[in-house]
Amino acid sequence: MNNLVIPVGEEGRTRALNEVLGKLLELGVVDAMMVPTMVTPGVITYLLARDPEFARSKAEPFAPVMPVNGASFVAKVVSKKPKGKVCALLKPCEVRALTELVKLKQAEADNLLVIGIDCLGTVARGEYEKAYPDVDRLSVREACKVCLNPDPPDTAFAGINIGYIGLDDGRCLLASLSPDLDDRIRGVIEELGFEKGDGLADQRQAALAVLKEERGNSYEEFLRKTHAEQDDGGVCGIAKLLAACVGCRNCRVACPVCYCRECIFDGDVFEYETRQLLERAEKKGGLKIPGETLLYHLTRMNHMSLSCVACGMCEEACPVDIRLFPLFARIARRTQGIMEYTPGRSPEDPLPFTTFREDELEPR
Amino acid sequence: MEAAVDFEPKIVAFLCNWCTYTGADLAGVSRIQYPSNIRPIRVMCSGSVDPMYILKALLDGADGVLVGGCHAGDCHYVNGNYKARRRLAVLQEVLDESGIGCDRVWFRFISASEGALFAETVHEMVDSLKRLGPNPLKAIWFA
Repeated sequence: MNNLVIPVGEEGRTRALNEVLGKLLELGVVDAMMVPTMVTPGVITYLLARDPEFARSKAEPFAPVMPVNGASFVAKVVSKKPKGKVCALLKPCEVRALTELVKLKQAEADNLLVIGIDCLGTVARGEYEKAYPDVDRLSVREACKVCLNPDPPDTAFAGINIGYIGLDDGRCLLASLSPDLDDRIRGVIEELGFEKGDGLADQRQAALAVLKEERGNSYEEFLRKTHAEQDDGGVCGIAKLLAACVGCRNCRVACPVCYCRECIFDGDVFEYETRQLLERAEKKGGLKIPGETLLYHLTRMNHMSLSCVACGMCEEACPVDIRLFPLFARIARRTQGIMEYTPGRSPEDPLPFTTFREDELEPR
Repeated sequence: MEAAVDFEPKIVAFLCNWCTYTGADLAGVSRIQYPSNIRPIRVMCSGSVDPMYILKALLDGADGVLVGGCHAGDCHYVNGNYKARRRLAVLQEVLDESGIGCDRVWFRFISASEGALFAETVHEMVDSLKRLGPNPLKAIWFA
């Protein structure tokens, strides 16, 4: 890792980083740049900028809002090998989700430059919008409070990571260039004349270690507590938790790693005729409508929990406020645990369902 | 358990065409007796059994689900049974965490020549499900 210090002046860190982002576009090392932006006061979304001035003036790389896990958008932008180089500035959970999407062959990483950025949490989209500009008092989402990865993974892409955790006075940002970074991009950044910052990198790592340990403890506590809240020793607990589900499938749409173009739950298999519904209702005396709530959520857990990056967007998207995050976080920890798999850590780790060992998981 | 005496569990069995289904057939032609609690569904490979099928069977009232595949190294499609083993392991975690419990889903390697093993497996599974009692999901109308 080559660590460079980006000084932050009077105008603040957004201005300092945007200057660099603008430069990448201006010097033609990237052809487009996907960054968070504020479209109207308090409303954060993403911008695909081509004009360097657009990037400089409109990028909001530090906005503490994640309306959608940006990995889904990146996958849409680079679903087929793009001709030009696309740069995407992403939060750690977005980088990790994108890593999964690349492995799932939903995004093409070859012509992509990923700039990962430290994240100390995002606040709920709606709360931010209402409170804006008085946003300092807002607290971050539940998923962010217990997030174990506030820093983007080093090994995910041959890109750049922007760090600020542990660099307390806010007078600088740390840009870590991956050893595999494209030479042209490396050249351009090195020519910007930033000083080396290996000392600051160590300082950041030390702060991250402390933060991750704290988070690790609160995560354990969070999982224990939420399990106890749900558990009734049988299946009724989870059925009650999910009973309010209206079957909108928003959680699936918001989930960055639930990638199927056509979901089995949208197909003919679940289009029942009246006769079939009446028969099903007769068996139990009556049925909740919409039905098969539990089947839908349990199936989703089987299909995506190994790649779950714990971004919590499922819960954000739920119109009836079901606490999906703790449920999926617990399941994901177990399934990832038995497969010894950490989603988003590295493009080199094979997806568990694409591989196997002859001698494992016995007795069945 | 008193009630369990009369209880006859229903088992949905997803059996691989090349091994377990043929094994079940062998049990039949060999006149090996086994309980009729089982409802076999022939699939081309245990690796093709999506966990959703298993969940759907359980949520629609099956008391148990048996998935039968080829022995290690014997898969007609090279490694479908190994992949099924991974899928089933993940499913077991989901079932356990959600309180459904993992005892109702069995995954067994039974070859085409093991008619007796197939019959024995069905016996064991029926006994085990009788001890467990009826699937509680049957009673939950809002699931």
